[in-house]
Amino acid sequence: MANSQAVISLYDEPMWESIRAHDWKLQQCDDCSEFRYPPAANCPHCLSMDYHWKPLKGRGTILSWVIYHRQYFDNFPPPYNVVAVQLDEGPIVMSNLVGPEPEGNWVGLKVEICYGEDVAIGTVPKMRLIQQSA
Amino acid sequence: MAIAKSLSRVAAVIGIGESDYVGDHARVRAGERPHDSYGYAAIAFNKALKDAGIERDDIDGLIVGPTIAYERMGELLGINPTWGSQADAMLSVIEACMAIQTGMAEVVALVYGNDQRSAAIQYGGPEAMGGNMFLSYIYHAPWGFTSQGALYAMMFQRFMALTGCTEAQLGEVAVAQRLHASLNPHALMKKLITIEDYMASRYICEPLHLFDYCLINDGGVALIITSSDYAKRNAKKKPVLIHGVGRYDANKGATSLEPRLLDFYRPAQERCAEQVFNMAGLGPKDIDAVQIYDSFSCHVPLALEGYGYCATGDVGRFMAEEGISLKGKLPVNTGGGHLSETYMQGWNHQVEAVRQVRGEGGGRQVENCRFVHYNSDVAGKAVSIIYGS
Ligand SMILES: [Zn+2]
Repeated sequence: MANSQAVISLYDEPMWESIRAHDWKLQQCDDCSEFRYPPAANCPHCLSMDYHWKPLKGRGTILSWVIYHRQYFDNFPPPYNVVAVQLDEGPIVMSNLVGPEPEGNWVGLKVEICYGEDVAIGTVPKMRLIQQSA
Repeated sequence: MAIAKSLSRVAAVIGIGESDYVGDHARVRAGERPHDSYGYAAIAFNKALKDAGIERDDIDGLIVGPTIAYERMGELLGINPTWGSQADAMLSVIEACMAIQTGMAEVVALVYGNDQRSAAIQYGGPEAMGGNMFLSYIYHAPWGFTSQGALYAMMFQRFMALTGCTEAQLGEVAVAQRLHASLNPHALMKKLITIEDYMASRYICEPLHLFDYCLINDGGVALIITSSDYAKRNAKKKPVLIHGVGRYDANKGATSLEPRLLDFYRPAQERCAEQVFNMAGLGPKDIDAVQIYDSFSCHVPLALEGYGYCATGDVGRFMAEEGISLKGKLPVNTGGGHLSETYMQGWNHQVEAVRQVRGEGGGRQVENCRFVHYNSDVAGKAVSIIYGS
């Protein structure tokens, strides 16, 4: 086994730099305003090559979740969760929910971005529940 | 659409061959390496030639599976074709039909071999197979998200949350296919299981249990596909006609799992269903058995809804009450599929479809089986083939 690694293309490196600065940025299209994830040369929506790096507002909604019971990486001993989160900006990202795990259905719960440290990768963006007002 | 329509009944399967899954698996588990991928493919090819009743030199088209190199396989089989290609199981069948229709070849051999078990291929973790082709398989590793099973677990968790389908209902897939495998001499896993056994089995990536995951084993499969005219003149057995094919790929947003999580691949399956059923002039009610690519059990419920075999949101009840085993309303994966027969990446499903249409299913034969619908949706690439007499 080994530790997990990030895929670092030409366009991923600036994103990980922003993550290390605790200010996760994604490319926003200069022509149609869509966000790109994963980072890429062109906008899949309008094919524009033009973009700027925009900080995320830091909020999203859980679309789904899983709990790993089998180990695949040294730096991820089970059990651990992975959540699929749709950011308010549109893209869907995978992450880990830190802090207390909800009971029952996680779909639709609101989360915010926080940052954690991984032995292999360094700073990694994570998610935590936003306290819902009752 | 006009061109695609013309593929109906253009081609027929006249030969099928498989390696000895059971014997080879026993040898691999004992620490041996019986063959490499090319060896398994060659065994299957020889059997397919005999089954078809033709000679090696009758072959003028060659398609090899993704796990073997095209030139080396052609070299080993001694085939210089007028046309050749490399493709997965389902696209190989479609490409063979297209090559035959356009006159590029008339007698096409489709050959696949895989030594994935003895070569210890990994489908998750640091060396995850397929990451060079599907970015989603490796991109989310910084969050520990790896293995194709986890991608389907994520998809099916949401499906259950939105539709009310339950884990126990999903268990119907593993239970039904194990019953089929128990009636199939070529199947690896023949011990019957119950829903209680399924629910008691451990999770791999929750909500998916051990029994939701496919086997990993060695083997080879070959098919001989020819023009339907050639088939009528030369085949030893009754040709199995390809009545329709369909394809629709959901590539948009694939790496961040949009087609899985937002659509459950449904639009791709619906477009593919429209094409294949129109081409064949058939509908779900005409189909006697269904084969579904089942690297994970949850492909089955998603496809049953997507291809119109039950109403949207009703598949949990459909599987549990109407049934997807040989004893139920709609037999699915009659050979045991990837979960219980053999993991030949869709190739064994084509062979099983041909056997059922020929009436060679033995103890698992579907009565009066005229049409078998195969479909797959691997990573959102929806492909369909209808085989019939
Ligand atoms: Zn754009």
